[in-house]
Amino acid sequence: MNNDYLLSKPYLINSEDLTSEDIAAIFEKARYFLEDYPKQRKFTDLKGITVALAFFEPSTRTKLSFELAAKRLSADTISFASSSSSLTKGESLIDTLRTIEAMDVQMYVVRHANSGVPKFLQENTRGVILNAGDGKHEHPTQALLDSFTLWRHFGRVEGLKVCIAGDILHSRVARSNINVLKTLGAEVALCSPGTLLPRYLNPWNVKLIESIDDAIEWADVLLMLRLQRERMESGILPSIREFSKFYGVSLEQFSRKPDLVLMHPGPVNYGIELDYRVSSFPNCLIQTQVTHGVFIRMALLSLLSKFVAV
Amino acid sequence: MNILFKNIRVINPTENFDKIVNLYIKDGIIEHCSNEECIVDSSTEIIDGSQLVAAPGFIDIHTHLREPGFEYKETIKTGTDAAANGGFTAVVCMPNTEPSIDDVTVVEYIKNKSKDLLVDVYIAGSISQKREGKLISPMLELDDAGVVMFTDDGRSIESSEMLRRAFDYATTRDLLIAEHCEDHSLTKNFAMDECELSIKLGLKGYPRIAEEIIVARDILLAEYSGNRRLHLQHISTKGSVELIRSAKMKGLRVSCEVTPHHLFLSHELLDSYNTNLKMNPPLRSKEDINALLEGIKEGIIDCIATDHAPHALHEKEVEFEKAPCGITGLETSIGLILNNLYHLFNIELSKIVELMSINPRKILNLKQIEIKKNEKANLTIFAPNEEWIVSSNKFMSISKNMPYENMKLKGRPKFAINNGKLWSSTL
Repeated sequence: MNNDYLLSKPYLINSEDLTSEDIAAIFEKARYFLEDYPKQRKFTDLKGITVALAFFEPSTRTKLSFELAAKRLSADTISFASSSSSLTKGESLIDTLRTIEAMDVQMYVVRHANSGVPKFLQENTRGVILNAGDGKHEHPTQALLDSFTLWRHFGRVEGLKVCIAGDILHSRVARSNINVLKTLGAEVALCSPGTLLPRYLNPWNVKLIESIDDAIEWADVLLMLRLQRERMESGILPSIREFSKFYGVSLEQFSRKPDLVLMHPGPVNYGIELDYRVSSFPNCLIQTQVTHGVFIRMALLSLLSKFVAV
Repeated sequence: MNILFKNIRVINPTENFDKIVNLYIKDGIIEHCSNEECIVDSSTEIIDGSQLVAAPGFIDIHTHLREPGFEYKETIKTGTDAAANGGFTAVVCMPNTEPSIDDVTVVEYIKNKSKDLLVDVYIAGSISQKREGKLISPMLELDDAGVVMFTDDGRSIESSEMLRRAFDYATTRDLLIAEHCEDHSLTKNFAMDECELSIKLGLKGYPRIAEEIIVARDILLAEYSGNRRLHLQHISTKGSVELIRSAKMKGLRVSCEVTPHHLFLSHELLDSYNTNLKMNPPLRSKEDINALLEGIKEGIIDCIATDHAPHALHEKEVEFEKAPCGITGLETSIGLILNNLYHLFNIELSKIVELMSINPRKILNLKQIEIKKNEKANLTIFAPNEEWIVSSNKFMSISKNMPYENMKLKGRPKFAINNGKLWSSTL
């Protein structure tokens, strides 16, 4: 592979920042790490670089995944969790950034509950920003690892029919996946209750499927989203039971189309969007997604480290 | 202050006056206003007026002076200096202060702080006590103290019953009720206009209907309560223009204002997550903008208002969703209006004078300004063809939150003259 490939943007904020060439380079790099990791265990791509894991919103898997990725590349890491930081003392976000920056940190992995924060930080730092999920906006590394998983499974992404199902309105995973899948030439459809994506607001101009049965019939891949429980409290859905009945995937439905590939960004609400028994089927790729996540993040950290100012 | 503008164009639509004259102001009084030569005192400053227009002083019907309560954003002094610097000779200050303007003591405080200024400060009182939308404020007493309109600006009166009471109570003196039009149940935690871009950006939308529902309700209530005077603040949507058009056709006493930013900026800009583009109501679509422009040409929209909303840098330099709404406007308004309405959309200067001086005074039942010999000079003087670059370093406002930095504009304010004082704009 071409080791000199430069991504088209010196940061990763939006999935739309990525061209299909960028994504191909990321996948190649991720495959290299995936295949060589058992032999090498440790790489030196980020030696001498400090990565701040700035998680202003709680996260388990994404944070662990990035931390492992950075460490396997020999980066120094500092970790930051909002609950134990000065933010609770009223320190502003921009001040926190300046504080971290003053300690000579070169790369920032940012997770924040507000949409647009990685862009805001990128405009105010010389460091390299990686978006690890911002509000309801984007989660580009999740989308990349999802497509990488499909690429490994099918040998291609182009032409695949992928239906994203569930809470589209509040999902950054959905937004990033729609863009990455479209860039890679997949056919994308959405399936959600009317309140979780008003039908007159479809900026992606993608197919809308009105029942989960139709979605299963149409799709090669069903990408399920996590239903946040607070949606119920806000009254946007009548009940968990109703959601599960009309938008969850049962064992019976899955059995009707056993070659259907199921994915989920996790953590899964088993019994709500997905029957627990489905999770052990070979076409349910949830664990593979997690495994691939580390290698995709290694690839991104490695490719973006070329933009670290020396 | 003795000053002579030679060959200046004076436009005053109320008197059907539009002529090139020599305009001599002595001790704050117009001594001479005709094309004849004029003899002046030796101490008189003489200015070539051939590139200038003099109009009856512009008034901003929607200004946040922030005092009392938020003096770190703006004060009565800095806000009125900003007004003069932007070419205004009067403002109407909004009651979302702390404490809010729901009591005569606050009115007296503002009057005391604003006396002897070039800029006349007119005061809007709140409709409800503490702007809580529950109990009506002492409107008669506030009216006696000189309040010119009532609004809970920044919030709509949520309860229709409460607003009906306000209209009914206003009847005895035919007081002016103004409303910020927002159905708050539809706009909780909003960050921008609801549109396809808000979905993409993952920002909570503020749908057009949230404004239009209140516009429609308020028109119905004003009519039901006996055709009361109703002023709708900073409208932003095509639907609002349509509702107001039909209300006016019915002969209802409804007026409305629009801000320069809603006329010239659209929601597409929001993909920058620039907090200086976050306002309430939010920037809307190009279709809405076209309807607003059409509404101006047709006379459905009565006046331009800045909604000057100063915020400190540390309040705006935050996560987009956490940033407060609003931008400053006093020092950019005339430039934007001339650059866009006059130069780009060919709207006549006399119409612009109506939008920024005559009509707001009509809405408020204020005496119109006359530009003739022996009258007090209350003038806005601007250079319609002069180009300038917006630079907030030159602003008088404490706050710099606006999205026009480094923008090139054609048409700029030059002087504000009122109460025996003259301000030469630093912009």
